[in-house]
Amino acid sequence: MKYMILLYGSQQDYDALTGKQVPGKPVWGPADFAAMGTFMSEFNKDLTESGELVETRGLTAPVHARRIELANGVPVVTDGPYAETQEVLAGYWIVDCESFDRATQIAARLLNCPGPPGAAENAVVDVRPIADSRDELEL
Amino acid sequence: MAQTGAEDLLRRLAPQVLGAVVRRYGHFDTAEDAVQEALLAAAVQWPSDSVPDDPRAWLIKVASRRLTDLLRSEQARQRREDTVFRWTLPEQWVAPAADRPADAGDDTLILLFLCCHPALSPASQIALTLRAVGGLTTAEIARAFLVPEATMTRRISRAKQTIKASGVPFSMPAASERAARLGAVLHVLYLVFNEGYASTSGPDLHRGELSAEAIRLARVVHRLLPGDGEVAGLLALMLLTDARRPARTGPDGGLVPMAEQDRSRWDAGAIAEGVALITGALPHGPTGPYQLQAAIAAIHDEAPSAEATDWAQIVALYELLLRVSDNPVVALNHAVAVAMAQGARAGLDLLAGLEAEERIAGDHRFHAVRGHLLEMAGDRAGALRCYQAAARRATSLPQQRYLQARAARLAGDE
Repeated sequence: MKYMILLYGSQQDYDALTGKQVPGKPVWGPADFAAMGTFMSEFNKDLTESGELVETRGLTAPVHARRIELANGVPVVTDGPYAETQEVLAGYWIVDCESFDRATQIAARLLNCPGPPGAAENAVVDVRPIADSRDELEL
Repeated sequence: MAQTGAEDLLRRLAPQVLGAVVRRYGHFDTAEDAVQEALLAAAVQWPSDSVPDDPRAWLIKVASRRLTDLLRSEQARQRREDTVFRWTLPEQWVAPAADRPADAGDDTLILLFLCCHPALSPASQIALTLRAVGGLTTAEIARAFLVPEATMTRRISRAKQTIKASGVPFSMPAASERAARLGAVLHVLYLVFNEGYASTSGPDLHRGELSAEAIRLARVVHRLLPGDGEVAGLLALMLLTDARRPARTGPDGGLVPMAEQDRSRWDAGAIAEGVALITGALPHGPTGPYQLQAAIAAIHDEAPSAEATDWAQIVALYELLLRVSDNPVVALNHAVAVAMAQGARAGLDLLAGLEAEERIAGDHRFHAVRGHLLEMAGDRAGALRCYQAAARRATSLPQQRYLQARAARLAGDE
């Protein structure tokens, strides 16, 4: 069964990760950043070895997002549609594992990711079952 | 604009890096600033640190980071001003995608098409092309065109605003407009070359850096479109014209007309390359104005002296050129060639026909040519008047000095 694990972050979180001073956000030093990298590599390596990893991707900073919507029936593009404090999808994993509980266990491990004090305080990780077929969408 | 190894590399990579960043993230206007800053960082860091293993990737990385920063502050400002930047998706964006993946060469061409967009004035097209494709700094472009840097900064940022507002996608122009758009690109390179070769203003006769840059960019386009005869023709024309540069000014910095130039000082390598290019291009497909001008330049360059030039052949080529281009300067040059082939009177008769042509009758070149032909015909008083009229109208100091000298020589003989 396939699940998607979703990780969120705001533009401010991205800024803090690049080492910038952001008011109200912990400062990520080079050692913190390196520790996070090691943790993520381990995490992905374990999932690859267990055969559960389908795909994982990180998204570039929210500032690069484009939103397309209709305005009077005409497609209109908004560059950088998010406020800088707004939490948006920052990365995801797709795992193929035996149960929702196993997927939850995998996702929970992400909260152990090292970082400067306070970094994990407001972190959330979501897990959502991926529909295998149109029927499962119960439309 | 000195050509050191690292600088050469940076200038060559500039359009590839900008292309890659715009293709990935959009925002041509801001990305262009970000790439300039990355080039600057490289110019400072590489000589002291050493050039990275993959310079292109390094520049793309640094430029992308810088773009993120610039967008951050831009969007924060827009939000403070409560204006979120929105733009209408142009109609053509809904069209199917190109049928093959693009490469770095395509990016350079696309950038050229973008910078020479018809929505921009020629002055803006030139400035933007030199910066975004040539990798020159605003200060360098301003110096080359003898305008204050602030003026050039405004010109470039206005040009980028126009591109942004026009919403042109970062892709090749549609096949139906490709020929016309390529024509605009070649015209811009031609103008850059001419600006360098025959400065329209200021004390220096040629600002050779601009000619060298135009030749460099024409080489890039020729490499990307090797089968296009007009691209080959333009490159050949530039090489064959620039080959005469060493003999074109005297020791005093004054202008030396072609007939009096020391032909042993012409650049034989450039002539050989230009002749080979035009010889290769001519037999293939439609012969456009650049090829015809290059063919004329080749005849001049291969002639041992002005007298031994195949003027009849040059007259024939000018007549072909007159058929494809409505340019009074071509008509003027045709008159000179006719005078050389058939005598001064025949040339003067053609000039009389041009007198009603407003675009050229007020130009210093018209009066200078008439003076020259009158002198050939033995009418020294008439020639003197024409040289003086030409000198009054010339804008470049060396041209004025040359014309005054011709006039003074005749006046002294009186």
